[in-house]
Amino acid sequence: MDSRSDLSDPEVVARVLNGEQEAFGILIRRYEPGLLRYAARMLSSRDLAEDAVAEGLVRAYRHLASCRDPSRLRPWLYRIVANRCKSYLARRDAGDVSLEEAPPLADPVDNEAAVEQAEQMALVQRALATLSAEKREAFILKHVEGMSYEEMAVVTGERVPALKMRVHRAREALLQALEEHQ
Amino acid sequence: MNPIDPRVHQALDGEIPRDTLPPELRRQAERLEAVAALLAETPAIESVAARVMATVARPAPTRGRRLVRWFVTPHAIVLRMRPLWSVALAAGILFLAFFPVRETGPRLGQEEGVAQFVARFPDARSVAVVGSFNDWRPGSIPLEDVDHDGIWRASIVLPAGTHEYMFVVDGERWVADPLAGRYIEDDFGRENSLLIVRPTKR
Repeated sequence: MDSRSDLSDPEVVARVLNGEQEAFGILIRRYEPGLLRYAARMLSSRDLAEDAVAEGLVRAYRHLASCRDPSRLRPWLYRIVANRCKSYLARRDAGDVSLEEAPPLADPVDNEAAVEQAEQMALVQRALATLSAEKREAFILKHVEGMSYEEMAVVTGERVPALKMRVHRAREALLQALEEHQ
Repeated sequence: MNPIDPRVHQALDGEIPRDTLPPELRRQAERLEAVAALLAETPAIESVAARVMATVARPAPTRGRRLVRWFVTPHAIVLRMRPLWSVALAAGILFLAFFPVRETGPRLGQEEGVAQFVARFPDARSVAVVGSFNDWRPGSIPLEDVDHDGIWRASIVLPAGTHEYMFVVDGERWVADPLAGRYIEDDFGRENSLLIVRPTKR
């Protein structure tokens, strides 16, 4: 195990900014799973999620010095990847890229529980896709990524009361979509 | 959209304990949490770490190279517009299609022509033209010396026919146009310049 993985975010950022390029790998290992999950849920496409996160992380590396509060690096990284996702969604709206992807199917040799879980996941993904991008983002950040409203404010640039209202609306829309898709 | 009972939101936001919810509301909260748990499973996506580290190891592209790349890469241009404005825009385009603007200069009637006044007054501060067409009122039709070369010019639309005129230099000195070629004596014994305006051919 990398002994440097115990370093705090500000310590790792300081090392990277001092020219220790490979230290950025610590931050990737630390935040990549969540960022990939977030992008995949937003874009409903594994390929585009990989592209969005890769582009976002490269951008983060090149602009690391502009991160004013490295102790809040996580929402800062999410903000960059969120912007890449919005760019892809805008291109999808313009018909430039296709984000359609078949829902994950269970392998035939999987057991019954796995098949049921895959079906549940497909149902949830379809319901989530009916939400507007803003509501989808609000629900994912709050309930999937487990962010506080203050962290969400850093990611989205919105005020906390507006985000609370958006999360409430997202919950209601998601419950309704689930009922309609069932 | 069916609004959720505010207590469900409060419980999900950790503002009230979950066990204070009645059973039917607790089921709603649990349904949403189950959805979140499903979505929280890490999808099977390959790590991009190697790709990112390989990219950052290369020197960052220069501003010029980024600009070139921006110009050659396809970009989506999204124009968001209220339907009302799009209808108004379409109506405007249709109007222009059926009633195109053909002329940009002064509109000429069938019995009108353009008179061009040119005079050389190198030391003048102002030059105006007065005549039978403006009731001999000084200042209403000024000439311009855009180049400051002492040549003053003005173009105006006048009714076709014969007009008498003079130049008024610096607001006080009345001078006949030396280039007029035709002159006529007025009732006060002065010579006015004579101008013949022909209707513009169409």
